Amino acid sequence: MSLFMAVGLVKRFGGLLATDHVDLAVEQGEIHALIGPNGAGKSTLVNLISGLLPADAGRIVLDGVDLTGLAPHQRVRHGLARCFQITSVFRNDPVRDNLLLAVQAQAGSSFHCLRRREAETALMDAALALADKTGLAEVLDRPAGVLPHGMQKRLDLALALAARPRLLLLDEPMAGMGPEDSLQMIELIGRLRSETAILLIEHDMDAVFRLADRISVLVYGRVLTSGDAAHVKGHAEVQSVYLGTEAHA
Amino acid sequence: MSHPVSDPPRLSVSAAGGRPRQPLAVRFPGFARRLPWLVLASLALFPLLAPALGLEYYVGFVRRLLIVAIAASSLNFILGYGGMAALGHAGFIGVGAYAVVALVEAGFSSAWLAWGAALAVAGVFAALIGAVSLRTRGVYFIMITLAFAQMLYYLAVSLRTYGGDDGYGLYTPLRLGAWLDGAHPDVFYWVVLAIAALVFAGFSRVAHSRYGHALRGIRDNETRMVALGYPVYRLKLAGFVAAGAVAGLAGGLLASHNAFVSPSMMHWTQSALLLVMVMLGGLGRRWGAPLGVALWLTLEEVLKMHTDYWHWPLGMLLLLVVFHAPQGLAALFERRGGQEGVR
Repeated sequence: MSLFMAVGLVKRFGGLLATDHVDLAVEQGEIHALIGPNGAGKSTLVNLISGLLPADAGRIVLDGVDLTGLAPHQRVRHGLARCFQITSVFRNDPVRDNLLLAVQAQAGSSFHCLRRREAETALMDAALALADKTGLAEVLDRPAGVLPHGMQKRLDLALALAARPRLLLLDEPMAGMGPEDSLQMIELIGRLRSETAILLIEHDMDAVFRLADRISVLVYGRVLTSGDAAHVKGHAEVQSVYLGTEAHA
Repeated sequence: MSHPVSDPPRLSVSAAGGRPRQPLAVRFPGFARRLPWLVLASLALFPLLAPALGLEYYVGFVRRLLIVAIAASSLNFILGYGGMAALGHAGFIGVGAYAVVALVEAGFSSAWLAWGAALAVAGVFAALIGAVSLRTRGVYFIMITLAFAQMLYYLAVSLRTYGGDDGYGLYTPLRLGAWLDGAHPDVFYWVVLAIAALVFAGFSRVAHSRYGHALRGIRDNETRMVALGYPVYRLKLAGFVAAGAVAGLAGGLLASHNAFVSPSMMHWTQSALLLVMVMLGGLGRRWGAPLGVALWLTLEEVLKMHTDYWHWPLGMLLLLVVFHAPQGLAALFERRGGQEGVR
């Protein structure tokens, strides 16, 4: 059985069928890329899987546990973490506090209200480890909102990693990045392969082909095809709806 | 060519000009650390010194100020730290006050029991109201908390046993027990001061805890907090209940202070006034609530002596603060400049 399965996911917005009976599986240790033209319903799918949007039908199973009826924060507890296409960090707080907040969510109760958090060295150690892993150790004291875009994206990823996910949903981690930042991000995601399976939504085809073990193509809310890079590149319909237009451009 | 010459002086001027704008806490860290204790000590000594200064009348005034500051601190906790714009906080003050009335009517006379009941009953009401209200956001949350508070207001109006519209007089003061009663005419003042100090210290402490950090995270970016795995709804509800309970305690103290309770204390304008005082002092700032309350009530008291049109200058003051210290008065004194982190 696959590590993660989405079965028959459906989402309607009024008359629009944004997600049309999507089946998706991610294996242990796999980076599974989800590509498709704008408006194909990729972000909607991520929101359905993470639970920020309620699905109209379908099931979501991670590691044999049915997450379908669970609230988004409960899904995180079961190992499903996500990043955001539009960077979502705590802009006014230093990077250190961002990381502490992310680590704190996983380390026991957040209802403790008398002990000073600064006194909790275990939290700080975990936050620093995260900063090292994502290359943010140099900017711990700077407010997240003033960091360059690439670093903010890495911080967004670091926040998701704090949950020690079994499946990580990355919604366009390279969006808006220059080539250098993209390269750094590709390396970072590649290193994560050993700790978590990844469902990667990305427009940067170069990144997708370098990272993905398997690629699914989403068009008009439906999975058109699924397979390795060679299969997708050679797929006639994919070429016409997606790669073809890019090749002409 | 003149640029390189004229630029450096201008830079240094702006740097020197910038320094006086640094918060007091940065310039005098030692003083800032001792300030809370100095304030507490002067407040504790005030009833003893007041007769010599001819300010006896103002002991009662400061007592009321402290009670209102307790309520304002609780509002600052959920609004300033939690981002919950509740416009029905006076409702909980009223619930606390009527809890005291109910106990007195039933024949109880212990102050501690009455105030404890005010705290507990208001907490229960806050749990029920919060459980519904916190499912909404933004303007809807403002409106629904307002609606609940108005329901409480009309409930109080309809309570014939407790005087309805006319209110209810508490003719015999509640007993503090043991040696406290009659030890000194101002015992109640010191009790209020002690409770206010505890509440203030408590909220300050919580602000630095895991819970306080989580609450501010929810204020700043709720969606991300959900995605980090936080049980956002339950965290908000816990804060709402704590704030409601403390407001109820303030209501209980206010009932004792006035020796009178009426529905008007839970009218929505009272909620709005509390909101204005907190914003004047500084939303989400440690000293915001007491500063705002002290300034507002003192000015009200002073202006009333000189003119019947005392709302006018108070309105001007509010405009002044909005334009020149939009973060509130506390922002001028406290360490951190922006709306970030722990204040």
